[in-house]
Formats: sequence, structure tokens, C-alpha cells
Amino acid sequence: MNEQEQAQRQFIVNISQRLGRPMPKTPPEHPFRGAPPFWKEHTRAIAADPARMIAQFIECWQQAGGEAKSFPSLDGLRTFIVDTATEMKARAFIRHRHPLLDELKLEEELSESDWTVWDGQRPEEMKNKANAADIGVIVADYAVSATGTIVTMSSADKGRSVSLLPPMLIAIVPASCIRSSLGEVMSQISAIGMERMPAGIHFISGPSRSADIENDLTIGVHGPGIVYALIFEDR
Amino acid sequence: MKATNEQTVLERAKQALNDEFLRNAVKLTTEKLKNGRLSAAKQLGNWEEWRERARQIRQHTIAHLDYYLNQFADQARKQGVHVHFAKDGKEAVEIAIRIAISKQAQTVVKSKSMVSEEIHMNEALEQNGIESVETDLGEYIIQLAGEMPSHIIIPAIHKNRKQIAELLSRDANETLAPDTAVLAGYVRKKLREKFLAADIGMTGCNFAIAETGSIVLFENEGNARMVSTLPKTQITLMGMERIVPTWDDLEVMATMLPRSATGQRLTVYMSGITGPRRPDDGDGPEEMHVIILDNGRSLQLGDPEFQELLHCIRCGACLNACPVYRHIGGHSYGSTYSGPIGAVLKPALNKNVLEWDDVANASSLCGACYEACPVKIPLHDMLVYLRRRKNEAGAGLCSEKWMMKGFKVVMAKPHRLRAVLKAGRLGQMPLVRDGAISAHLGPLKGWTAYRRFPALAKPSFRERWPHLQAELKEKARRASVKEHVQLRLKQIREKRTKKTGGNRDE
Ligand code: SF4
Repeated sequence: MNEQEQAQRQFIVNISQRLGRPMPKTPPEHPFRGAPPFWKEHTRAIAADPARMIAQFIECWQQAGGEAKSFPSLDGLRTFIVDTATEMKARAFIRHRHPLLDELKLEEELSESDWTVWDGQRPEEMKNKANAADIGVIVADYAVSATGTIVTMSSADKGRSVSLLPPMLIAIVPASCIRSSLGEVMSQISAIGMERMPAGIHFISGPSRSADIENDLTIGVHGPGIVYALIFEDR
Repeated sequence: MKATNEQTVLERAKQALNDEFLRNAVKLTTEKLKNGRLSAAKQLGNWEEWRERARQIRQHTIAHLDYYLNQFADQARKQGVHVHFAKDGKEAVEIAIRIAISKQAQTVVKSKSMVSEEIHMNEALEQNGIESVETDLGEYIIQLAGEMPSHIIIPAIHKNRKQIAELLSRDANETLAPDTAVLAGYVRKKLREKFLAADIGMTGCNFAIAETGSIVLFENEGNARMVSTLPKTQITLMGMERIVPTWDDLEVMATMLPRSATGQRLTVYMSGITGPRRPDDGDGPEEMHVIILDNGRSLQLGDPEFQELLHCIRCGACLNACPVYRHIGGHSYGSTYSGPIGAVLKPALNKNVLEWDDVANASSLCGACYEACPVKIPLHDMLVYLRRRKNEAGAGLCSEKWMMKGFKVVMAKPHRLRAVLKAGRLGQMPLVRDGAISAHLGPLKGWTAYRRFPALAKPSFRERWPHLQAELKEKARRASVKEHVQLRLKQIREKRTKKTGGNRDE
């Protein structure tokens, strides 16, 4: 037993003693796990109605200060991104490596700009590129309509910095990834299994903000201040 | 000693009451946060059922803390985390410093952590020649000012824009306009460089998930994400009670914490971090340490009156609801944790009721803190227990000492109140407007809903107090500590089996 494990043992034994019983050997019965039943019913009803979920997601995201829009086709989505980026005079982009983004071919449309596709093999370069980028582009792994949240999970192709360092974030949200409650995403995460757990799972619900100076809301304090959630109606 | 404390609190509270800006800022901010919470609760619906579920989960977790903590540590290790256990602040600091030295760290960037304040981590880092930078906007400001946070959620609540502009201008070596966008823009630029260059990122921990060994951070600015993404080494400081069993349970905490803290549906960022970066990942820390701290927390376990303290999720709702806090501000409490939760936590962690001296008395026992609490911690009960224990510990039952002293400054002495009023200082205090102190002493529904005391007809505090005091005296007379504890245990059990269930500790 190493030093850390020994410290752990002592620490835990003390807790068991304070609780006045030996440490349980089997997992304790946990009858009140997760959200209350009425909530699960409520969100199940919403989940049955994809259009309602999209509308709810957009409403919440906008309330938090983000921009949201839904697109029935990839072409419409592409045009919107190109127009927005051009209007913002964005020069440098960094994006996740993702089939949907490959298919969008934004690099071809915005060929004057500097594009970086995330590559976990080149960490230093990625860090610098992400820090210098004007816009980060990602595809969300999930979205939650009840809270207006997008979820992104890190991997070799999906750096955490892409949704964090640039002042503007564009997140493409496939409609098929929208869930009605946080709990539905949580159970997916539980099911991933220890071997395949991503190191970083990030729930993002709008632009970076602070009210620390005289209660005056400031946007974009450390993370992106401009955030677009663009829904692609893939179903 | 006691007299000094008394003077100190009198002075601290007076100071706070005399600082018009502070008074207004605290009032406005807490009011805004409180209203945010109320409307978020309404918008969500079924708030009481959510509260009850949150309480059940917290109670279950703490009742099996040994099991879940063990599970968390085992799972986190499987993900490559170095898990350390520290029985007190000194040990935790030593572990962190050892890591920092072994990394030859020059700079540590930090995101908000109450534990770090609790164990004075910054001082220890500086003593070892390591720069430590708070990166939460409010924390950065008070670090520049060399002060303590005055509110759990909004640490720089007591600073105005001009003061902040002066502090930041000095930091920038140029004059910055007292404009929020300018000031925040400066901090963004300055701290971005720090994030990119720092050797170690240090975070707190809102929740730790036993089933996967993950830690979870809630924040709005993105600095906690920076701190846990850019530096090569991450150190997470975690109070041992931060555990929840599963991700499913996190949904409940994620539903309650942001709504109770600021009225948001969810904080802008909620990050679940499970171990250091994977071999192919291009960012995230290469090495991750979690330091789990006891520091008096385990003393609450098995204590029927105080075990529930460990259910606290540090949302700050009780501060915003507390009529006393709202008038005197966090600094009057003179410790890391302020407001009703701080008033109980400080002496409880030290298991020293004699420390529960001055401003902890500054509670009107109105029950507003309990009603605001998303996990239903009976803080007002605990304040009564503390008073009783202090008496049992032999501190004497002197009515003067028992009076809440923060409020006493303006309340108990009408002549003082009049004097202050004459000076025009208290004109805006709703508390004393119209000379009607009692009516504003916290929501009376707090009293009628309060299970230990019968509904009283709009009593003033001074009317209430003898009543309370008599009850306490009576209790102290007839029950030894042990008997009383058993009685209380029995009451809790009875009460809880009558309710909706989910109260089994076994
Ligand atoms: S005691 Fe309750 S209301 Fe106060 S900070 Fe803790 S959880 Fe929030």
C-alpha cells in the first residue's frame, strides 16, 4: 500500500467510525437517484415533439444572450456561416475535425482566411492557433432544450480550446442530438464506460459573462462573448 | 478576549452600516439574486419537490460518504488522477506546495475555490515564491485589493466601479476608464497571458461524481475552463462532502445550484473533468491531482444536529435571503464563509462553540435561510443548537451575550438608532424606516412555517428573544448533551418517517 492509499484508508475509516458503522461493502441502495419522476415524465413528453425541443432550445439560448437559428439544409447553414464570418471580418478560424464540418467545406468558401483543423498530435501549435483564432467552429455532441445548452466532449479531434479561446463560437447542433433534459445526456455519459470517458465534457449555455463589476453584466470575460448555435435539421 | 471580539464585531458592523455604498450594493445585489432565484424557481415549477429530491440525494450521499468517497477515489485513479487525502488545511497546503515545487512552478492560475480561501492557499504559494493569480474577475479584483471575498457568488460586491478602475489602473500602469467593458477587457487580456504561461491550474470542485471519478465545475466566465485546459498540471481542491453518487444525481444539483445562486437555468459553463488529457488529446492537463480535504468536516458526521451542514452546495441563497447579511455585508462575519451558513460552519468546523462568538449571533432566527436553501438545511435550528452548546460548554447564559450583536448595534439600543438616523446614515434602510423595526425583520412566514416554534403574532426580535431564551434555558436545564442528542435523533427519525421518505441513513 503506498502513501496515498494509506492516507485514503485512514481518512475513510475515520468517516465510517463517525457514522458509527463499518463501511458498506456493497453499493448502498439508492432509491432517490436522479430527477424526481414528474420531471422525467414532463421531459419525456417534450422529447416526443422534436419541433418543440428545437423551439425551446432556441428560446433558452437566446435568453442567455446567444444567437440561434435553425436550418433545414446544409446549403442554408453554409451560406449563413459564410455571410456572418464575412460580416464580422473574421480572418482566422479553428475547428473540430468532424465529418459534418468536412462536408460543409467552409474552407473553400472562406479561402482567404486562415483555417486550422484540430489535431491532437500537435498540441503547441493548436494552442497558439486557437488563441489567435477569431472564430471557433464545433459540432455539438448533444444539446439540451430545457436549459438551452450545448454539450461538447473532448477527443483527439475535438480540442477543448476550440470552444473556449476564440472570442466567437459557432456551434452546429444536429437536431438529432437535441435532448429534452440534462438527465437524458447524463445517462448517456454514465453509459460511456470508464475506458472511453472523455477527459473534458463541457456544457455550454450562452456567452461567457460576469456581473462582478457593480452588477453590470459583461459579456466575453474569458470565454467567447459571441456564440451562435446553428441547428441543422438532420431528421 | 471576548470583549475584544465584541468590539470588533461592533466596529465591523458599524463600519459596514456607515459605508453607504456597501450597504446599497449589498442590498441591491442580494435583492437581485434573491429575485432571480424566486423567478427561476417559479419558472421551473414544483420547486418544493425539487428541493426535497435534492435534500434526499445529499442526505443519502453524506450518510454513505465513506463508500462514495472511496468509489470516487478508486475511479479517479483509474482515470490517471493522483488522489490525495488531507485531514486538515496544513496537510492540503503541504501536498499542493510539494506538487508545485516538483513542477518547478513559477505561476499558478486559480479559479474560484472556497476551500483555497479556507486553507489560505495563496499565502502559502507566495511564501514559497510562487505567483498565484485569481482569475475569476471578482476574485482578481479583491486579490489586487488584498481583501477577502464578501459574498460566495459575487466576491467583489463591496467595490464600486471607480475603486475597481483605480485598482486595475495601478495593475496596468495606465489609466483605465471606470467603464465595465474597458475594465473587463483589460482583465481578459491580462489574464489570457497568465493562462497561457502558467505552470499549474488550480480549481475548486462543485461536485465530484463517484461513479466515474469526475469533478464538476460550475462557472460563468470561462476561467475555470481555462485553468483546467491550458496549464500542464491541474490541482483540484475538494471538500470531502462535494460528492454525488452518479451523473443522474448531478442533474438535480445542476437544476438547483445555478437557480439558487443567480437565477440562471444553468451556469454558462458546467464542466465534467475526468482525469488528465488522453494520450491523443491536444489539450487539457497532462497531470491531474485532486486533494480531498477534511478539516473539521468529519466532526459533523454522526452529529444529529450538524451532519446536515455537509449537505450544503455553497449556492449563497441563504446569504441573499438573510436580513442581517443584507444589511451588514460579508466582511462583518470576519471569515471565509459569511452569512447564515458561515455563521454555523465556522464554529462547527472548528468544533469550538466558544468561537461562535460575535457576529454569528447576528441572525434574527427568522428562518428565511432555511426557506431559501435548495437542500433544506435547517440553519436556523443550528444557530439555536450552537447557542445552547455554547451555554453547555460553560460560556454562561448572559442575556447580553446572547443577544445578536450585529443587529444590536442599531436595534437593541434605540438611542443609538436615533443617533444614526439623525446622522442621516440609515435613511435608506428599510429595516428601520418608519421606526418600525420589527415588521421588516425577515419574512414572518418564516416563523409560522418554522417547525420548532409556534406561530407568533408578528413579534419583534426583542419580543421573540426572551421566549427563545426561556426555551433554551429550559432545555439546558433538563437535558444533558447526550440525552438531548438522543432526543433530537428520535425527533428527526419520527419527523422523517412521517414525511415522504428517502430519509433512511442506512
Ligand atoms: S446552506 Fe443552503 S442556501 Fe446556504 S449556501 Fe448552503 S446550500 Fe446554499
